Amino acid sequence: MGIVKIFYKDDCPMCPMAKKLKDNLQEKEIGVVDYNVETAEGLAEATFYHVMALPTVLVEDETENWLGEWRGNVPKMEEVLNIVNGR
Amino acid sequence: METTDLNLFVRTSEETISDWDRSKIVDALIRETLIDRDTANEISQEAERLIRASGIKIVTAPLIRELVNAKLIEKGLENARKMHTRLGMPIYDVDNLILHPNKENANVPHGPEATNLTLAERIKKEYALLTVFSQDVADAHMNGDIHLHDLGFIDRPYCSGQSLEYIKRFGLDLPHSLSMAKPAKQPEVLLAHLVKFAAALQSNFAGAIGWDAINIFFAPYIEGMSDNDVKQLAQMLIFEFSQQAVARGGQAIFTDINIYWEIPKHFVNVPAIGPGGKFTGKTYGEYEKEAQRFAWKLFEIFKEGDGAGRPFFFPKPIVHITEKFFNTTGHMDFLNHISDVAADKGNTYFVFDRGDTAKISECCRLSFKLDEHDLQDAKEPWRMRYCALQNVSLNLPRIAYLAKNDDTKLFNKITESFVLAVKAHKEKRNFLERLLSLGEDGPLALLTMNRDGMPYLRFNLASHLIGMVGLNEMVQVHTGEEMHESKKALKFGLKVIAHMNLLAEKMKRQEGIRILLEQTPAESTSYRFARLDLRYFSPLSGKVVKGDIASGEVYYTNSTHMNVKQPMNPIERVTNEGIFHPLIEAGSISHVWMGESQPSKEAISDFVIKTFRFTTNDQIAFSPEFTTCNKCHRTGRGLSDTCSYCGSMDVDGITRITGYFTKVSSWNKGKLGELKDRHRNTEFFSENIAAVNQ
Repeated sequence: MGIVKIFYKDDCPMCPMAKKLKDNLQEKEIGVVDYNVETAEGLAEATFYHVMALPTVLVEDETENWLGEWRGNVPKMEEVLNIVNGR
Repeated sequence: METTDLNLFVRTSEETISDWDRSKIVDALIRETLIDRDTANEISQEAERLIRASGIKIVTAPLIRELVNAKLIEKGLENARKMHTRLGMPIYDVDNLILHPNKENANVPHGPEATNLTLAERIKKEYALLTVFSQDVADAHMNGDIHLHDLGFIDRPYCSGQSLEYIKRFGLDLPHSLSMAKPAKQPEVLLAHLVKFAAALQSNFAGAIGWDAINIFFAPYIEGMSDNDVKQLAQMLIFEFSQQAVARGGQAIFTDINIYWEIPKHFVNVPAIGPGGKFTGKTYGEYEKEAQRFAWKLFEIFKEGDGAGRPFFFPKPIVHITEKFFNTTGHMDFLNHISDVAADKGNTYFVFDRGDTAKISECCRLSFKLDEHDLQDAKEPWRMRYCALQNVSLNLPRIAYLAKNDDTKLFNKITESFVLAVKAHKEKRNFLERLLSLGEDGPLALLTMNRDGMPYLRFNLASHLIGMVGLNEMVQVHTGEEMHESKKALKFGLKVIAHMNLLAEKMKRQEGIRILLEQTPAESTSYRFARLDLRYFSPLSGKVVKGDIASGEVYYTNSTHMNVKQPMNPIERVTNEGIFHPLIEAGSISHVWMGESQPSKEAISDFVIKTFRFTTNDQIAFSPEFTTCNKCHRTGRGLSDTCSYCGSMDVDGITRITGYFTKVSSWNKGKLGELKDRHRNTEFFSENIAAVNQ
C-alpha cells in the first residue's frame, strides 16, 4: 500500500484542491501526510523531494520508494488510488 | 598633595616625556566618558596616590590609563571604564606577530606589510567589539556562540561584485587619486585599469572582489587581435592578479572572474561599450565569438600554470553552466577544455544556473541571484554593483549541546542565535552608514563616488549574510547519527537549514534589509568553534569534534557539508550536499577532493553534466594536491614530504583550503586536521579513467 505526500502552502491558488484530495483519501483510509512548505518540517521535506511547484502530490511505498508524482497540479482521486493500490 | 609636588615624568603617546599633571586624567575622563567632574577628580587623586606609593619615577600613559580604569572598576563605573579603554597589544604578542606568520588567513603572507595588516586588524577588532557592537553581540562572539567575520575590517563592507563596464564607461577616476584616466582605448590599458581598480576596491572591502562576465566585457577590445595577442592578454590578466602581493598587507587580491561560454540572455541585446568608452554600435550578443576566444585563452593559461607549473591561486575562474550553455555551439569542446584544467590544476569552479536563474558569483561560494530589478540594471551593466556588508556564522554544534536532545529547545536556540546575528548586522550597518555619510571626505570616499547618479556602493541593495558551521556535528549530537549515516539524520539537517531559511525570509520582511543564508567558508571559524567547545562543553564536544584532539588539530565540518573523512562516492556526496543548496540563497559549494589522482577531462565533463542534470547542487570544484619544491622549484602531483624530482625535504604542499588554493604551510591547525582526514576519491577516478578508456 502506498503513502501519499502532499505539499502545499496557505496562499497558493490550487492548494485548496490538494487539501480536499487529502480529505477524500483519508476517508478511504489511505495514508496521507501533508506538508506546509512555510514550516521548517514542510520546507525540509519539500527540499528533499526537489519540490519546485505547488501543490505537489507524491506517492511512495512503505520503504519510501517512488511510485508516482504530480508536480504543480492536483490529480484526480482515481489516479492516486490506482498508484496507491498498485493498479 | 599638589600635582606639581610629585617628582614624576610621564612617557606620553605623542612620544614626549612630560611632567606629571593630574589634571590630564580629569580632562580625559570628562572628554571620553560621561562621569562628572567631582568623580573624575576623586579618581585622579586615588590614581595619583597609588603611583606615588609605588615610588616609580617614570610612568607611561597606558599604565596611568590602566590604573585609572582599575579605580573606575572599584567604583562600579563599568560603562565609563569601557569608554576609557585603551586599545593595544602586549609586547609579547607583537613580538610573536613580527616573527611568526599569521595563520588565521592563509592568504596573508609573512612580512612587514602583513604585520602591519595584522596589527591594524587587532586594534580594529577590539574597537569593533567595544564600540560598534552591543555587549550581548560582542560577548556572543567572544565566547563562540556566533562568529562575526572580518572584525579587523570593521570599517568596510565584506565583499563586492561588479562588471568591467564601470571603468570602461567612466575611466579610472577615483576620489583623491593623483591622476584621472579617461576610458581605456587599448586592451592592455583596460587591463591596467581593471587591476588598479581591483586594488582600490580591496582597500575598501574586507574580502572578495568579483568581476562578472569578464570575457564578454573584454570582447569589444579584442576584436581583430590575433590569437597569440589574445593569449598574451589572458596571460597578463592572470599573472597581474596572481602576483598582486604588493597591495594590502601583502595579500593577493581575492579575485573571482566569472566566465560564460554563451552570452547570457540578459546581456544579448545590451549595447556594447568599446575603446574610449564609446558604444560600438553592436550588442554583446554580436561579440560571442570574441568572448569565447578570450575565455578559451584564459583557460589555456590556467592549464599551463605559473612559471614553475603550479596552479594559479588567483584569480579564481568561475564558469557558469546554464541551459543556454548546452545550446551554444562548441560547448562540449569548451567543457572538456575547462574540465582538463580542473583535472590537471583544479582551478575551474563550475557554477550551475538552472532554469531561468541568473547569478553573479564572487567569493568562495557567495553568489547573488539576479532579480527583476537587477535584470533591468543589466541593460546598463555598469550599474550592476553588488555587495554584502557582513557575514555572521552560527555555532550549530553548541546549540545542540545546550538543547540536550530537546527539539523545541534546539529550534528556539537557533532562533535566538539568528536574531542576535541580525542585530549584529544592523549594528555594523549603522556604523557603515555613519562612515558613508561623510561622503567623499570620509574614509569610504571610493564607495560614495557618484559617476552615474548613484553612489558606487548601492547600500540599499546590500546583503547581510548568515552562515552556519558544523551542521553535521549538530545533527550528530542531537540525533546520534551523522548526516551520511541515515536519511533521518539528513532530513533533520535539512529541517535545521529550512528553519534558518524561513527565519531569513521573515526577518528580511521585518527589518527591510536583505538577509541571506550563505555557506560560511569558515577557514578559521570551524577551528575556533571546535576549540572553544572543547573548552566549555567537554566531554560531549570531545565525542563529535573532528580531527585529532591530542595534537589540537580539531575542527567542525564546514557549513552543511558531510563528514570529509567519510569514504563516500563523490556523486553521492555532490548529490546529498546539493539537497541543501536551494535553501542557501547566497551560495554553496561541494568539494571533490582528488588527492594525487588525475582523471581524464571526459570523466570530469561527464561528472559536471550529471551534476547539472540530476542534482540541485549549486557549485562544484575539483581539488588535486601538489608538492612544490623550494629548492629545484618543480612541482609534482600529490602531497609528499620530499621532492619527487630532487629529493629535497624543503617542500610545501599546495591544495584548496576552503574556496581557494594556497600553500599548506600557511594553514591553521584546524584545517591541517581536516586535510589529514579528507577522503581522496582516488579509487573512484581511477575506475572512471578505466571506464572512459574502455
